[in-house]
Formats: sequence, C-alpha cells, structure tokens
Amino acid sequence: MATALAPYNGPWNQRLAAHLLRRAGFGGTPDEIARLAGMRVGDAVESLIHFPSTDALPPPDNVFDPYSAGILPLARGRPGAMMMDQTSRQQVLMDVRRRSRESIISLQQWWLQRMLTTPAPLQEKMTFYFHGHFTTAAIQKGVWPSYVYQQNQLFRNYALGNLRELTRNVSKDPGMLLYLDNATSVKAHPNENYARELMELFTLGHGNYTEQDIRESARAFTGWTIDRRTGQFMDAARIHDDDPKHFLGRTGNFTGDDIVNTIFEQPAASRFFANSLLSFFVYNDPEPALVNSVASLLRKNNFNLAPVLSRLFRSNVFYSDRAYRALVKSPVEFVVGSYKLFGLKQIDPAAQRGLVQMGQVLFYPPNVAGWPGGSAWLTTQMMIARENFATALTNSPAMATSSWLTTVPMNAPQATRDLIRTILQNDASGAAIAKVQNYLNGVNTSALGMLSGENYQERVRGAAYLTMAMPAYQLN
Amino acid sequence: MKRSKFLLGTVSGLTIVANADHFFAKALAEPLLGGSAAGANRVLVLINLQGGNDGLNCVVPHGDDAYYRYRPTLGIPKSNVLQINERIGLNPAMKSFKALYDKGSVAIVQGVGYPDPDHSHFRSTEIWQTAAPDRYEHTGWLGRYLDEANLPKNNLFNGIAISQVLPEALVARNTDVPAVPQINGYGLISDRNRAARSAYSSIVEDTRMPFRSPYLSHVMEIEDHAQKGSEELPKLIAGYKTNASYPASPIGRSLALAAQIVGSNIGTRVLYVQHGSFDTHVNQKGTQDRLLGEFSDAIAAFYNDLAAHGNDGRVLTLTFSEFGRRVGENASRGTDHGEASPLFMIGGGVKGGIYGSNPDLTRLNMGNLGFTTDFRSVYATVLERWLGRPSAPILSGNFSTIAALT
Repeated sequence: MATALAPYNGPWNQRLAAHLLRRAGFGGTPDEIARLAGMRVGDAVESLIHFPSTDALPPPDNVFDPYSAGILPLARGRPGAMMMDQTSRQQVLMDVRRRSRESIISLQQWWLQRMLTTPAPLQEKMTFYFHGHFTTAAIQKGVWPSYVYQQNQLFRNYALGNLRELTRNVSKDPGMLLYLDNATSVKAHPNENYARELMELFTLGHGNYTEQDIRESARAFTGWTIDRRTGQFMDAARIHDDDPKHFLGRTGNFTGDDIVNTIFEQPAASRFFANSLLSFFVYNDPEPALVNSVASLLRKNNFNLAPVLSRLFRSNVFYSDRAYRALVKSPVEFVVGSYKLFGLKQIDPAAQRGLVQMGQVLFYPPNVAGWPGGSAWLTTQMMIARENFATALTNSPAMATSSWLTTVPMNAPQATRDLIRTILQNDASGAAIAKVQNYLNGVNTSALGMLSGENYQERVRGAAYLTMAMPAYQLN
Repeated sequence: MKRSKFLLGTVSGLTIVANADHFFAKALAEPLLGGSAAGANRVLVLINLQGGNDGLNCVVPHGDDAYYRYRPTLGIPKSNVLQINERIGLNPAMKSFKALYDKGSVAIVQGVGYPDPDHSHFRSTEIWQTAAPDRYEHTGWLGRYLDEANLPKNNLFNGIAISQVLPEALVARNTDVPAVPQINGYGLISDRNRAARSAYSSIVEDTRMPFRSPYLSHVMEIEDHAQKGSEELPKLIAGYKTNASYPASPIGRSLALAAQIVGSNIGTRVLYVQHGSFDTHVNQKGTQDRLLGEFSDAIAAFYNDLAAHGNDGRVLTLTFSEFGRRVGENASRGTDHGEASPLFMIGGGVKGGIYGSNPDLTRLNMGNLGFTTDFRSVYATVLERWLGRPSAPILSGNFSTIAALT
C-alpha cells in the first residue's frame, strides 16, 4: 500500500486516458481521449482538477417554484399547509405536482445535457457523486423543483471544495431540511431523522456513534428550518433546544454547525469518505490500508477535495489492473458516455425513458441510501434496457449525420479495428473481434463489397451495436 | 457471487447457441423431476395494489356506526355491501371475488401493518417489499427466498415480475429475475435484425480477455440471460391453450400471462403483478370501485383458467398495498394516506374466512387504524406453509404464522 498513492509512472496511452475520463467524468469523445493521451499523466489530471469556469453554461429553463409563482403560500416547515378549503387545496396540490413533474423532467434533461457538454466533467461527476451520497428525492415532502435545483447547485459549487463545509451547508439546504424532516424538528419534539442519516449514511457509518448521540444531536439541529417569508433556511431560536447536549464524548450547548464539526474530528469520518470515494472512483471493497492512506490524506488536506482527488487520479492504484474496468457503469454513465463516445451533441429526450428502464432516474434515488450500484445494476430487465438503448442510439438519425461512425472505412478488418478501439479501447476477446468482422463481411448475407454506401452504413451501425453489447462496455 | 458451473470459464457474455438446447432441457427437467419435495410446484402470485388501497371501503365494516360517521359521503350503504357477516362485507364492485370467498377460496387478513408506520408511498412500499421496516435493505423478501430456496440455478424463470421494472420484492443477491411487462415486444430490439441477432448469439467464449474485473462474469451471465431468456420465454409458453376469457384491463392481461406461465411448467415459483393506482385523495369512489372491480373480475378469470388446467390448487395469490387510508374522509370526497389495512390470500392452500381483528374505529392513532397483524407474520405464513422454507433467515426474525393456510 505504501506505493499505492505514489504517482503513476507507467505507460500512458489512449486506453488509460479513456479510463481517467470514464471515472473523473462521463467518458470522452475520441478527440478528448486523444488530447489527454498526448499530455503527461499529471497534466491530464490537472486539466480535470483545475477546470475552466462553467458560469456561462446555460441554466435550466423550467425551475418551478410554487411559492414565488404565488400558487402555494409558505408556512414554516410545512410548505403547502394552507388556509383555503380542502377541495381547492387538493386541486391546487394536484396542479403543483403536475407542474413539478414537468419541471423535474426538464431539469433531468438539462443535467444530462450538461454532463455531456460541460468543459468541466469532474465538476459534474462530483455533483453526481454528491447527489447519490447526500440524497434528496424530488416532490415528495414538498421538495419542489426549485429546491432540487438549489441543492444541485450547492453540490456543483462544492464539487472539489471542502467536505466539512459542504456538510454544514447540506444540513441547512431546504430540500434536505424537508426530505429528512428537520424543518419540523422543534425543541418539544425533536425529529431524529436527519441526525440519524447524517451519521449513518452521510459521514460516519453504522457503529461509530450511539443512539444517545443521535438523540442529542437531533436536539442540536432543532430550529434549523425554513423561513416562511423567503422559503429559505433560517435558524429559529424560539424552537431551538438551548440546553447542554452530550455528543460523541463532549458536552456543550451545541448547534448544528458544532455537531458537523465534531463529526469531522472523528477518525471514522475520514475513513468513511475515503472508502466512499475509493468505491466510487477506484474499486469496491478497497483494502483497509488503502482506506487509511486516503483517510489520512483527507485529514492532512483539511477535507479539501481538490488535492486529494488530484493525488488519487495520478496514483498507481488508480491505473492498476485491479482498478481497470472494476466498476459497473451506472445507467447515467452508460447513457451519457454513449453520446460522448460517438461525439453526439444533444441528448434525445427519449433517453430518459431508457434511464427509467435501466433503474436510475436523476433526482429520484430509491431511498436515502442512494443507488446501491455494482451488482444492483445487473438484472436481466436493466440489461435489456441497456441493449435496446444501444440499438436505438446506433440507429438514430443523429448517428447517421453527426457521428464519426459515418467515416468508418469500407473495409471490414479496418472498420472492425476502428470500432473495437474507439468503443472498447480494445477490451475485447479475439474471438469476439472476429465475429464483428464476420458480421461486417456479411456471412450468410450480402458480402461487404456488394453493399451500397447506405447499406454499408447500416451494417456499420449494427457492428457498433454489437461492440457496445460486449461485456467491457458495461464496465467503467 | 456464486455462479453456476455452466458459466465458469465462459468469457463472452454473448450467447453460446450450441449449448442452448441442452441448457434449457436441463433447466426445465429439474423442477419437473424434483416434484415431491415440500412446496414443490407451488407458485406464489404477489399482487401489489399500488398507491394505498382504502381498506375500509374494500372490506367494509357495515356493522359499525362509527364507519358511517367517519365516512358521511364515502360510506357504502349497508344495503349495497356484499355482506360476509353482520359486521363486515365487500365493496359492491367485487361480486366475482365475493363468489370466490363464498367457495372458501379467500382468506381476509384484517389490520395488517408494521410498527412506526411511514406515510410516504416510496418508503412504505419499500418496507413492504424488503420486509425491513427498521433498516435499508437492498434485497426483497421474495428475492431472499429465491436465493435460499435451492431452486435450479440454471433456470432463468424461477421468478418473473410481470412489470416494466423489477420490483424490490424480487431483487435478490444471487438470483436474476426477469421483468416482463408483456410477452409481445419483450426482449432485444436487435433480435429483429436477423444478422445482428445471429452475430450477437454466436460470439464464442475466449478466456483471453485483456482485462480482469470482479464483475466480468456477472455481466456476462446477465447478458446471456437477457438474450437467451427473452428469446426463449415466448417459445416456452407458446404452447399453452386456454378458453378462459379475461377482462380487457391491465391486471386482466397480467394475470392471463401469469396463468400461461404457470400452465407451461417452466419452474416458476414466484410471480409479481401490479395493479393501481389506489392513491385516491380526490373523488375516491369512482376510481376505487373501478380498480376493485377490475381486480375482482381478473382474479376470478385467473382462477377459472387455472382450474381448467388443474393448476388452481398450486397457486396461492397474496395481495398487499403500502398502506390503508385515513379513517375520516377528506373534504374532496377522498381519503389521505393511512396505516393498517386488510389483505387477501386466495386459492391454493387457503382456509377461507376472516383472520385477525376487525378494525376498531373507536381507537385511532391520529386518525389512523393501528395494526393488529404484523405483515411479516403474513410473509412467514406464506414462506413456511406454502413455499416450505424457514422464514426467520429471510425476515431477519421470528414471526408467528397465522392459520389462514392449511
């Protein structure tokens, strides 16, 4: 383990540059892969860490906010509690839900598009990581689209920022306050939901705190709620429990900020995030020694992510055989990565239907624990959805006009080499490669030389699909 | 991850056609030959009444004045209720279901729920599907059953969900359950292109893959299942002949497919069907009556079909809904999210009748009915008395069984 985090000095090529782009982003276009492969490893990584400003990227065009639209009056902690009679209240709520669903679909589309085209892929990848880590699901419990977008921007702003500070801000984020019920937690009846998940799923992991710590920290979080005038966070002293609390071995009149700060002083916090980052970016079940190395790196850098991720993406372990193709692509990585791969510029809204079938819908994690990932993506039904997405994509009109697929040479061996190299970085068995070439050559069908240009293109699209159906394409 | 011997050494995930006949012949022979073990050949059909079915207007406490006080517009007049006894009866839309009840084929379990009820559709559904009210569990209760039940690992159809997306109840660690919304159009689009189809299925094994990955064999196995399973399932059930006529509702179509799968003897032990949405906050009567009527007619057709093929005795159907609804109706002639509610067990093994305590409308928790039967007791009953498996490892605890099954 001593050398696991030492800088990688081995061969540097397109295969590893593509690996870096799949992990630190959503894959690369052939041009992006070639560009990174032409740099030194350290420079390639730095180009991802020190990314250009993305402020000029277009904002989403439909962020529905029932409060500023004047449709719902605000009431602290329970947006939607209203003074009107019940029948009109139900009608209004149904209308709000409908418009919210439309808005969320538009936000999903916007985010997928941003993942595809951003000049800062690591910023989006970390936003995606945080979305699965500090989970909040849309619409239920009053998490309206405006709150969903606000939280998404919070994650983006802290993409490579300070984890402790992000956690303090997540604890004050309106979407989170609603989703995990802290908005209604008052001194007389503290709600333990947020305190529990904060420690169990967000920062420490089970076994590193007691039920007593949950009760005491829940008291500290009382009063962190939503301002009925602004719809934003407020610290309501009137409902805050001001008495002393005993938390993780300390006693004091703690606030929510104190709780988060104390959590990050626990060695378990750095190990928890080290394990989480390694499992997301490198491989599952990382060795305890590796977890400890990354944990100490996190502490040494005061939980600032940029230097830690920079070190990780330049390390031996990141480019090791154990790490290569060691993760299952999530559906979002699969879909966005496929558009990238072919150099397509526009995500088709139909891709969202595919994501539903594949089991991953942005802003709707299955529960507060996020998407389990790994083997959970490997079911027959999800695989059929992936393969059918690949079929639809390779046969889409955009593919016939805008992708490099139209420039594949009319020569089966050369075309096969191009497809296997560009789609799979040559991660295919010799026999499988031969089958793609046979398919292009047209065994039992018209021979290659007999095809019109148009029919040849169709054959190439079929071969591209077959290449995407190979096992390596499911792996990140 | 334990993998079947068949797959060891296989590297391409793309199908090996030469082995396919052999593979299926073997997989199919096993459940048929193994017939005599406890629970063998028995099937469980789980029906999710999605959205929160209003238990009080489904199994109606027409003998309780409090019911009519809480339901001034939604209360079903006593004279319309399909009376079971002087206290309770069924919703008037459930005539064909009442006939099944009268034949002794239906057990009604009253007051089913779990401690500290959650009023969120998402979380409460997850609790029912995972049987884990106190933690986040990634596998479902029937998924864990499939993993534990020593079923032939090379049968791709031990469980089938008749749905778009695999429900959590059937998520397993070592068993892959296909989700088949309907048989027409199921499978890989590329299969309609014959050349691509044959290339996909003829890529042969080659152990010299230029990388290694802990997921490689699992990916290959699932790709293999996706291709082979979606190609084979329609063929395997094509020979089923039936004269049964099902209502033209989604649940009618789903149960027709379920009967076809059961009748084709492909080793399927667990089927999942979805019906809804019962989330009736506004103008409940029209929606709930229609859905209960569809359910009732489809179940009746299903058991007629099964009986005509001699299969009714080996198919138990269990319904569930994530929660019942608030006792008091709201001002929109609807009801809001509630807690405990009744569920049904139908068909094979059932001792018809009423189980558990009828709802006590004089003792509500914040306007909700408390539960009197833990849902895990129902699951334990199904696992132990129908599927013949110890329930404690699957449910992470010991739950008493109820007497509703012989």
